Amino acid sequence: MHRRAGFASIGLFAALLALVLTALSPVALATGEASPAPAAAAPAGVPIVLGVIPDPSGTRTKWSGDQININLNLNGADLDPAASILTVDGKQIVLSSPASMIELSPGNPTLLMKWDTPTFAKGDFKFDVTLFDTAGQQLQVYDERNGKTAATYSWEFKSEGEATGGSLINFEVMKKWFWYIAAGAIVTVELTVISIAFACLFALFGSLGRLSKKMSFKQAWDRYQSREYMFRMVLGRIPYWLATFYTSLFRGTPLLLQIIVIYQGVPEILKALGLPDTYNPPAFWSGVAALSLNYGAYLTEVFRAGIQAVPKGQNEAAWAIGLSGWQTQRRVVLPQALKIVIPALGNDFIALIKDTSLVSVITVEELLRRAQLAGASSLNNFSTLLVAAAFYWALTIFFSFWQAKLETRMARDKAREKEKGKK
Amino acid sequence: MAKSTSTPIYDDQGRELIVKVEGLQKYFGKNHVLKGIDLEVFKGEVVVLIGPSGSGKSTFLRCLNFLEDPTTGEIGIGGVHVTCGSHGGQFKKDVHQIRMKCGMVFQEFNLFPHMDAIENVIEGPVLVKGEKKAAAITKAQALLTKVGLAERMDFFPSQLSGGQKQRVAIARAMAMDPVLMLFDEPTSALDPELIGEVLKVMKDLAAQGMTMIVVSHEMGFSRDVADRVVYMDDGYFIEQGPPSEVFFHPQDDRTKRFLRHILPEKEPQQAAALGILEVGQELPDPDAAPLQGPIGAALNEDNMADTAIPRIPLSGGPMGETPLPPGDENL
Repeated sequence: MHRRAGFASIGLFAALLALVLTALSPVALATGEASPAPAAAAPAGVPIVLGVIPDPSGTRTKWSGDQININLNLNGADLDPAASILTVDGKQIVLSSPASMIELSPGNPTLLMKWDTPTFAKGDFKFDVTLFDTAGQQLQVYDERNGKTAATYSWEFKSEGEATGGSLINFEVMKKWFWYIAAGAIVTVELTVISIAFACLFALFGSLGRLSKKMSFKQAWDRYQSREYMFRMVLGRIPYWLATFYTSLFRGTPLLLQIIVIYQGVPEILKALGLPDTYNPPAFWSGVAALSLNYGAYLTEVFRAGIQAVPKGQNEAAWAIGLSGWQTQRRVVLPQALKIVIPALGNDFIALIKDTSLVSVITVEELLRRAQLAGASSLNNFSTLLVAAAFYWALTIFFSFWQAKLETRMARDKAREKEKGKK
Repeated sequence: MAKSTSTPIYDDQGRELIVKVEGLQKYFGKNHVLKGIDLEVFKGEVVVLIGPSGSGKSTFLRCLNFLEDPTTGEIGIGGVHVTCGSHGGQFKKDVHQIRMKCGMVFQEFNLFPHMDAIENVIEGPVLVKGEKKAAAITKAQALLTKVGLAERMDFFPSQLSGGQKQRVAIARAMAMDPVLMLFDEPTSALDPELIGEVLKVMKDLAAQGMTMIVVSHEMGFSRDVADRVVYMDDGYFIEQGPPSEVFFHPQDDRTKRFLRHILPEKEPQQAAALGILEVGQELPDPDAAPLQGPIGAALNEDNMADTAIPRIPLSGGPMGETPLPPGDENL
C-alpha cells in the first residue's frame, strides 16, 4: 500500500536496528558491564589480587620492562598506594613516580607502578610487591590463584624480549585487535539505539510539557478572576516548569559531566540520603541514562519546533469534529510532526553515535575504550585508535545512508501521490 | 453524559430553535471584536453572514463551537447551553457536546494530510462517538458518494483538487451527524471554476433541511439558498432579513455601502438585475472618490453627503428613487 510507504520505511529502519540490537545483545551486554569481583574467602581487610601485568598465566611473552599493574579487590583494606614497594629479583625498584591507583572498574582498582628505564627486556624475573595501609602497617595479601595469604605478593614472569608497539601504523596490531575492538562497536551501536529511543520518549513528554502553557497568569486572572481557576492553573503549569527546567539543565551542562555525575554521583546521593551506598550503577546503563537525558533535552526543542510547524488549522479541524486534546495530539499533530522532525532526528542520531565515545570514561567498553585498552596492551595506541576511528566513520556512513534513503523515500511518496492526483 | 440528552428549545410559535445566542462578546486582548450579538436560528434555516473583512463574521462563527473562547454571553446549540467565560469540568463537557453537534467547514479545508479521504471522514465517528470502524466506513462511503467523490475515497488530500478537498471536508463534518453546519468562507480559497461544485453540495445539504450558518460572499448562493442574510459590521449585527430584503432594500447606510462594493465585483449580472449597476456599465472605481474631499479628511457618514457625487444611476432599480451615498473608500 503506497500510502503507508513513508511509515513503512521508518519501520524498516527501526526493525533493522532492533534486529542488530537483539542479535548481538548478549555479547554486547557481557562486554559492556563491569563485573564486580566475587567475594573471596579472604579475611576482611586483606586485599585480594585478581590479576597482574606482566601476566605469567597469559599468552604474552614480551613486556615493556618499565611498568607493572596489579588488579586488586581492596576487600576493605585502607591501602596507601604510594607506600607500596616493588622488588625485581630481590632488588628494590626506584619508581619514577609514587605508585598510584586507577579505578578501571568500580571496586577493582589497579595499582600502577612505573619506572624510567626499561631494563628488564629479556630473561626470567621474580616480582615481589609489599603493600601498606595508611597507618604505615604492612598489609597481608590474599592470592586468588592458590588461596593463600602472605606478607608479600610474588610472581614470576619469563620474558622473551622487550615488547614494543612496532611501527606507527602496525597492521599486525590492527589485525590482532580488530575483533576485540569490533565488539566495542556493537556496544556503541547499542548505546546509540537505546539512548535515542529513550531520548525520543523524554523529548516527546518534554515538548508536550513545553507547549502546555496556553495563557499567562495575568491573562487568566483578568479573564476569570477565580482563585480556584488560578490554583488549578498553577498545578497545570507544573509540566511546563519541569520541561523548561529539564531542557535548561541538560543543555546548560557538559555531557561529559552529566555522564560522570550519574555514574559516580549515584552512590554518593544514596549515602547522603542515608541509604546503603554499596550500589554501583552499571556503567552501561549510567551511560544510557546520561546520553538519553542529554539528547532528550535537545530533541525536546526539535520536537517542539516540529509540533509547532503543524498548521494550527489541523488542531482546529480536529477539535471541530470533537477530538479531545490528547486525541488531537496523538492522531493528528504528532504523525505530521514526526515527518517534519525526521531529518533533524537523523542528524542527532549520527551525532549521538560519536558522543557515545564519552562514556568510555566510566569504563563502558565501547569502541573508544576498547581501542584504548588495546592500545595500552599492544603499546601502539595510534594503530588501535585508527581502527576505532574507522569503525566510527563506517557507522556514521552507514546510518547517513539510511537516513538519506528514508528522506528520499518520503519525498518520492509525496511526488507519486501528486502524480496520481493529476490523472 | 447526562448533558447529551438535551431538550430541544421552541420559540413561542412552536418552531424548534437550533441556535440561541444571547449577548455574545469577544475580546482579543483589548480589541473588542464582538460587541454583543443575539441570534436565533430555527431548525432547517440557512443563515448567511456577510460583512466587510474584520467585521467579526469568522470570529462569531468560531465562537459558536468554541474554537475561539467567547468572553461573555450565552450560547445554546442543539439544546446544550453554555455560559461563556466560565471554566471547569462541566464547561469542558458542554463545549465538547456543542462541538459534537456542530460540523465545521474551513476556508483552508484543514483535511488531515496523512489520512486518505475515507480515513478523514471516519476519524470523528470512530474516535469521538466510538462507532465500529466497519459501520463508520460504510457511512463514510455513502457520504463521499453523496458529495460526488465515490471515485476518490482512497485518495490523499495532496491528490485532490481544492473543490474535492472541500467536499471531503464537508463529508467529514457531516459524518458526526451534526444538527448545525458552520461554513467559514468555504469557497474563498478555491479557483473560480471549482466554486460551483462546492456550492452545489451546500445547496443539496440545505435542500435536505440541514441547519446552516454560512460566512460567504457568494451572492448567488445566498439568493437561492439563504432563508436569512445577516449583515455584520464592527462587531454588531447591523441588519438581517430575507435575501430579497437585505440585498434589495437595505435599511442601514453601512449595508448599502457594503453591497455597492461587493455586488458589482462579485456578481455584475446580479447587480445589474438589482438595478445597482447597469449592464455594460463600467465598474465603479473605488479609488476615485477621496480626491473630492479635502485631503486627509476622513470620509464618514457625516461628510459623505457633501462630497458625494452618485456615480451609479439607480433609476428603475428596486432601490427606488433614493440615491445611495457613495462608496466608503476607507473600506
